[in-house]
Amino acid sequence: MTDASAASAAAPPAVRKSSLHQLDARTKKRNASEARFKAYGLGAVLIGVAFLVALLYAIISNGTPAFTQTFVTVEVPLEPEAVEAAEASFVKTSAYREIIYTALAERLAEAGIETDMGPEELGQILSSSEAGQMREFVLANPDRVGGTVEFRFFASSRVDGYSKGRVTRESLARDNNLSAAHLDLVDRMEAAGIVERSFNWDFIFGADASDSRPEQAGIGVAMLGSLFMMFVVLFLALPIGVAASIYLEEFAPRNRWTDLIEVNISNLAAVPSIVFGILGLAAFIQFGGLPQSAPLVGGLVLTLMTLPTIIISTRASLQSVPPSIRAAALGVGASKMQSVFHHVLPLAMPGILTGTIIGLAQALGETAPLLLIGMVGYIATNYPDGVASGFLDPNSAMPAQIYEWAKRADPAFYERAWGGIIILLLFLMTMNIVAILLRRRFERRW
Amino acid sequence: MSALWILLIVLAIAVIGYVLGRGRAMASAGGDIRNLHSLPSYYGFNAALTGLVPALLLMVLWTLGQPLVIERSVAGGLDLAAEATAADRSLLMADVRRVADGLDAAVGQGVLGGDASRALENGDEIRELLGGIGVALGSDVTEDTLRAAQRYRTMSHTGSLAMTILVIAASLGGTALAYRMTTRDFRARNTVERGVLVLLIAAACLAILTTLGIVLSLIFNTVEFFRLYPATDFFFGTTWSPSFGGGSSLGILSLLWGTFYISLIALMVAVPIGLLAAIYLSEYASPLVRSVAKPLLEVLAGIPTIVYGLFALLTVGPLLVDIFGQDGVLGVDWMGGGTAVMTAGLVMGIMLIPFVSSLSDDIINAVPQSMRDGSLGLGATHSETVKQVILPAALPGIVGAILLAASRAIGETMIVVLGAGAAARLSLNPFEAMTTVTAKIVSQLTGDADFSSPEALVAFALGMTLFVITLALNVFALWIVRRYREQYE
Amino acid sequence: MDDLRLTERSVDQKEIKISASNVQVYYGETHAIRDVSVEIEDKTVTAFIGPSGCGKSTFLRCINRMNDTIDTARVSGDILIDGEDIYDKRVDPVQLRAKVGMVFQKPNPFPKSIYDNVAYGPRIHGLARNKADLDDIVERALRRGAIWNEVKDRLTAPGTGLSGGQQQRLCIARAVATEPEVLLMDEPCSALDPIATGQVEELIDELRESYSVVIVTHSMQQAARVSQKTAFFHLGNMVEFGETGKIFTNPEDSRTESYISGRIG
Repeated sequence: MTDASAASAAAPPAVRKSSLHQLDARTKKRNASEARFKAYGLGAVLIGVAFLVALLYAIISNGTPAFTQTFVTVEVPLEPEAVEAAEASFVKTSAYREIIYTALAERLAEAGIETDMGPEELGQILSSSEAGQMREFVLANPDRVGGTVEFRFFASSRVDGYSKGRVTRESLARDNNLSAAHLDLVDRMEAAGIVERSFNWDFIFGADASDSRPEQAGIGVAMLGSLFMMFVVLFLALPIGVAASIYLEEFAPRNRWTDLIEVNISNLAAVPSIVFGILGLAAFIQFGGLPQSAPLVGGLVLTLMTLPTIIISTRASLQSVPPSIRAAALGVGASKMQSVFHHVLPLAMPGILTGTIIGLAQALGETAPLLLIGMVGYIATNYPDGVASGFLDPNSAMPAQIYEWAKRADPAFYERAWGGIIILLLFLMTMNIVAILLRRRFERRW
Repeated sequence: MSALWILLIVLAIAVIGYVLGRGRAMASAGGDIRNLHSLPSYYGFNAALTGLVPALLLMVLWTLGQPLVIERSVAGGLDLAAEATAADRSLLMADVRRVADGLDAAVGQGVLGGDASRALENGDEIRELLGGIGVALGSDVTEDTLRAAQRYRTMSHTGSLAMTILVIAASLGGTALAYRMTTRDFRARNTVERGVLVLLIAAACLAILTTLGIVLSLIFNTVEFFRLYPATDFFFGTTWSPSFGGGSSLGILSLLWGTFYISLIALMVAVPIGLLAAIYLSEYASPLVRSVAKPLLEVLAGIPTIVYGLFALLTVGPLLVDIFGQDGVLGVDWMGGGTAVMTAGLVMGIMLIPFVSSLSDDIINAVPQSMRDGSLGLGATHSETVKQVILPAALPGIVGAILLAASRAIGETMIVVLGAGAAARLSLNPFEAMTTVTAKIVSQLTGDADFSSPEALVAFALGMTLFVITLALNVFALWIVRRYREQYE
Repeated sequence: MDDLRLTERSVDQKEIKISASNVQVYYGETHAIRDVSVEIEDKTVTAFIGPSGCGKSTFLRCINRMNDTIDTARVSGDILIDGEDIYDKRVDPVQLRAKVGMVFQKPNPFPKSIYDNVAYGPRIHGLARNKADLDDIVERALRRGAIWNEVKDRLTAPGTGLSGGQQQRLCIARAVATEPEVLLMDEPCSALDPIATGQVEELIDELRESYSVVIVTHSMQQAARVSQKTAFFHLGNMVEFGETGKIFTNPEDSRTESYISGRIG
């Protein structure tokens, strides 16, 4: 301690006698920089929130129109001879189409709307799905033949776009599917109550439609595809994930092998999802011979992808059960296995379920691996006929269907894609809310 | 018999085994459970597990092994020219399988009787027959193919039958064995617990198996690719122009450039915003602001990437064109189309903000309070404390977080598929369309490409590159973060 | 208690440095400090003793407004330093803390070099005109912290690499480098071994020549060894304040006596 006394002798401290009640210039400058820094931080938070708002605004403003659809209501007389002739003809739908066009022309005349368009030209107002829709009805209800039936046909996507403001008279100048004259006609038909816009259940429950009829496309079948995949994920990832976590958390000895497994799991959680797609393609389809585009394969791939998430969250909830519970069970003579399955696991269950739901939500929104195993393209066209077909027949999934629509040329599909996103996000939101409620409900403080 | 039925039968045997095992144990104890070594249900579980597990294991192995064995045997019987390559062989085998499956489908739909299907001759217009039930064949069926296909069918039928019998036998045998062993002194609980432990270990090893599967599936196909396409051209080639007709140049450099450029822009957006937001929320924000803003930012992390992709393609792209394109707000005409490095980078940056901010938040909170006190106690302002004490202390952790974010950006697929464009380009202009490794994996493997052309196989080499890069980044980042945490524990 | 070194000390009257009156502190609903009034002299070591949770650290943290960093804390009453109210609206806590340095319970060197640790305060307060100046300040502070001889050859080594006692003396050097007038010490030896404690205590005694030192301590022996004045806190109240020798030998309050004799706390 000799140097201390030397120091005090060497140089007396230069005491700055300044009043605390006066800010010196330097402090003012430092305080300004403090305020600036704080403003940067606040700005960053606000920018982040602004991005979120912009994203949600884009989704909602672009997506809500997908839930409504312009319909044309026409009363079509089903004369037995005409129906018979149509069924006998080679291209059956075109014969039905003629019947519809004539009925539409008559309906217009009845409503006092004059037009110099022929039935063919007039028919462009309708979706090209109209004939199929009518034929299906006739085949399903043969007893209605002979009477007059009121049909609600989809309007063509251009007409639909016009009523939603996407299509304008100018934009139709280079379009050979519809002309400005049609739009004038549509205005008058709307006034006469022939054309109307209403909620479109077919978008939520329907099947995908081909490139040329966006008005008919729905996300229902893809939704089923997602549902079947989620079944696979739930029934494989939950038990396997829980079993792996129990082993690692409760039984595993601390050795190299366990370390390897743990490092592995944390790395798997960060492997890009598309690599899991490659794995699925090579292992399940190329090597295992499972069918392409099947929800079963999609589910298997997503299972492998979500397992690390579920294992990590399950281990966290197992860890949160205090050791005293285990000691208490062991103390009354339960085996290690019994103490885990009878006491620790039930107590950790809410946490495990929360983690599983979050893992499922992540899997539900994942797209990239599904593209590689072929769950993309015009494949979500038919409802599966049963459980086995639901797992094994080619199908799409919600996010893959959205991607499919986003790739198509007709901008009318973009609206569907945004609408699909709204449905997807509603599912995710529900799952997350359930997870939060579960956590709240069963949260336990030890 | 289908796998589902076998499964149900085995399950039924297991249930019966449970009831019998439990019953026998109770009987041997004279109805008094105090005389038993274990609880009665353990005897039941013992019987059920021995009936279930080996049988299912056998079934899985058989299902995996059978196609391999049959394939090899049938392919051996094919009459191939001496100069035929592996690719030719696999094409021919694909034909054989198609014909075989088609014939099975024909029998299944009742178009063909079982015997009739076996008696088919080559003259019987098989192509038309199969076309009629929706199985389209590329060419007429040769004698050789038909013979191989019939052989294939016979072998798979025999194989399936043998599997059914063996699996059910294994199940019954296991149950019977367990039933015989069941006496009042049998240590059923210990046996069951050992069995359950093995199952738990197997589940934990699945993680290793997954990694192994990834590595193997990448390596095999990559090796196959390099057999068809020189590795040096792949790693050092700068042009990317695949054509399925042949004569493609498949250089990875322009794809890597696109990947890194987009990731760089994404990080330039995400790191400052994410880091500053994390600092503000953990150091300045009142509890109320924090409890509102933090979940809001985290919502960004929960949104699927397809949504960001669509946002890039349909909202951000056109918006950027309105600003930087011809007749745009700035009137600079830098940007031709909506898909560009900038579009994808910006949107990916938005996606990464919550990732960076929540990781940084954790790391900043791990800096001990005593460090803050020390600095504040010396008269430092809050921002001086953050900039000169907390950030330097947290630096390793933050670097780790940024590396993890970079690995995310490099592996991200949907945003670049939709937002970055399709043309591979080596350019510095961020307003040009470029493409990435992930986007090309998707475009090369989507569609009906067979796995024998270099144009399809290149996707595996791309995947391998991607996997190695992201794995290296992850391992390094996790190591840094872990070391950082240990420092303050 | 006969091992206490209750030697003769200079007890002549000195200038009052800190004067607190009717200080109340609330943490949310909890009333942590009740009505404390005390006058702390310059060039004196004043010890705050009392059982844990009695509020002595809380009161210490009021003197350089460290309680401002806790959201729920509220302080009322007056604390004057050199006659100026430190809770006045015009006072910037940053400027105040330069004048009132603080040393904490656990040594908390920054993860920087030894030199940068000490230079941190002078740098942020702009006390040095140039590098040579700063070198001077750092050397002087390290000498005053009685650690110069041990670290002068490795000023660029990280401060976290020192031993616990060295770290705490480094923190003291860091605190005196900003030329404070008051030095607050919050149990500075509680994380140290006996030898390091001895060194730090010796240092505190030397620091008395230049500063008004306020030390919170758990150990009564330590208070007796280093301080001239002692305040006894109990349940948020300041029970007794006076000459250290008097508090330990002839306390007025029965609670102080119980604490000194080991019956409570």
